[in-house]
Amino acid sequence: MSDKVYSITFGGIGGQGILKASEICGWAAVFAGYHVKKSEVHGMAQRGGSVESHVRFGKRVYSPLVPAGGADVLMCFHLEEHPRLQTFLKKEGIDLTAYLDRATQAMADNPRGLNTCLVGVLSTRLPIKEEHWIKAIETVFRGKGVEENKKVFLDGRKLGQS
Amino acid sequence: MARGAYEAGLSVACAYPGTPSTEILEALARFPEVDAQWSVNEKVAFEVALGAAIGGARSLFACKHVGLNVAMDPLMTASYTGILAGFVIVVCDDPGMHSSQNEQDTRWVALYSKLPMLEPASPAEARQYVQEAFKISERYDTPVLLRMTTRVSHTSENIVLQERRVPPRPELERNIPKYVMVPGNAYQRHIFVEQRLRQLQALSERTRFDRIEKGDGKLGFITAGVAYQYLKEHYPDASYLKLGMIYPFCDDKIKAFAKTVKKLVVVEELDPFLEDHLRMLGVKAAAKDPSFRIGELAPELIPAVVAGRAKQEVKVVKRKPRLCAECPHWASFAALKKLDVYVAGDIGCYTLACLPPMSALHSCLCMGAGVTFNEGLRKGAPGKKIVGVLGDSTFVHSGITGLINAAYNKAKGVILILDNSTTAMTGGQQHPATGLTIRNEPTKKLILEDVCRACGVDHVDVVDPKDLEAFRTLLETRVNEDALSVIIARHPCKLLRR
Repeated sequence: MSDKVYSITFGGIGGQGILKASEICGWAAVFAGYHVKKSEVHGMAQRGGSVESHVRFGKRVYSPLVPAGGADVLMCFHLEEHPRLQTFLKKEGIDLTAYLDRATQAMADNPRGLNTCLVGVLSTRLPIKEEHWIKAIETVFRGKGVEENKKVFLDGRKLGQS
Repeated sequence: MARGAYEAGLSVACAYPGTPSTEILEALARFPEVDAQWSVNEKVAFEVALGAAIGGARSLFACKHVGLNVAMDPLMTASYTGILAGFVIVVCDDPGMHSSQNEQDTRWVALYSKLPMLEPASPAEARQYVQEAFKISERYDTPVLLRMTTRVSHTSENIVLQERRVPPRPELERNIPKYVMVPGNAYQRHIFVEQRLRQLQALSERTRFDRIEKGDGKLGFITAGVAYQYLKEHYPDASYLKLGMIYPFCDDKIKAFAKTVKKLVVVEELDPFLEDHLRMLGVKAAAKDPSFRIGELAPELIPAVVAGRAKQEVKVVKRKPRLCAECPHWASFAALKKLDVYVAGDIGCYTLACLPPMSALHSCLCMGAGVTFNEGLRKGAPGKKIVGVLGDSTFVHSGITGLINAAYNKAKGVILILDNSTTAMTGGQQHPATGLTIRNEPTKKLILEDVCRACGVDHVDVVDPKDLEAFRTLLETRVNEDALSVIIARHPCKLLRR
């Protein structure tokens, strides 16, 4: 394992499933054998305020927060939040916001699955195997909607690979 | 924190919800071996937990920084009585005020109360430190403070779990000189406290929770908590004295460490707690510009902090939280706004009514002040129309005493209890007026209208604020009367867990 620490910033507004998405990512990194830190601000999550969650993984992670200009990947769930969240992205970082539209269209019949779908897109950009993502989904959803979320995740994964 | 306490054989845990500490009790309530409770307020929680420790059970009290203020009365004297079984006070500060009314630095409480304080810098350390805290508590006959900040409290990390081990329970003892704090006994216990402080100083010099990491010797940091984590990423080659035991100070260790580096910088969030002490010791160290005493640190701010540069305020546009679309508080505040009254507010979701476009809440100080400010404001501004507003959980926490005071001292006015039947702001915790315990088990239910009548108010009305016309008419009638009345605006929070 290299010393590289991967940093992912998730952001949007309350009620979009951002914390769930970052939880899946955090568990996937745990199952892949990394040291993981996940940080979130969720005090006002249910009241429509800005929500932000940071996942960092590697051999050893110190800071729970992604510094400004330090995210390898940005996963933005709401365009109005994008200008603010963009400041987290590294110069050479990957901005997955371009997928927001396509994922929203793909999930038109199941808008609650948007977060899992975007995690599928994200999964194609991180050094974590598919089996670890699947195990993470099984852990986070614990029986409730596991199969449906696995399917949505795989759809998102295809979207990310296309 | 919860897991570590559980593994250490914790038996009793008490708290009142408060961001970012709420999750500790929620997690502890999932362990059937732990007697966990939501208490009425922090003072009550502290006393029940301390009582359990004096009775022989390892116990824990958790709160947010401002919650500790409510418990300061028992805390200060608990330092004198000490304990029988281990007692840990977990306090979660909120630098940057993600969800708080001030950003006080609770490290000063350790100095003031002469209690030892540990500060974990990560979830893994929280688990480890709380176990050690129980041992220190029992070995030195002292409550132990564990201080965390939001960025540690709201971080997840993978850790390896251990089995729970419960130490043998000591027998309750009748020890009047130790536990009856009348002046003569307290004098003797104060002598003990000062001796204990010296012993804890010796412990601080040798504790394995302070870590020295040798770097290239050019640059060295004295730091603690999440600031350490931020520094490590910017300055991997520097030397570190990373403090786990924040108080008492380890003077010899600090002086020795200072000699090993060319340039010493103290890096801490909020107040100059370590910085001032280093100055007293005569240890020369650079420190952050005073502008950084305000707000929380962040990884990208570290170079400016270390260089002693002033803080550059960056305007960040963040979405403001607001009351949920179907929240019953909207209806309550629409009626208040129409009456154009001064609203003495309180702590809860409804505080959001201060934001535009509503802008219909005019003060918010602390838990319970919605009631007492109604009384005080009327004295200061006679003839003005004033309504006190607070929530059901807040009323039970700190509103009842104020209401008794108002009735006793012949105050007038309307106290509006926005009863959404939960502690909504912190995520929907139970409280006495919901009739359910922390584990959602049925219990004796506090009837708010009965309590209000017993306090001696003139009128008590219960009304649904979503019944707009009836509510508005009632409010208008009561506001224009020369009486002390309580209106309970009852409509459940739409986020209530079912």
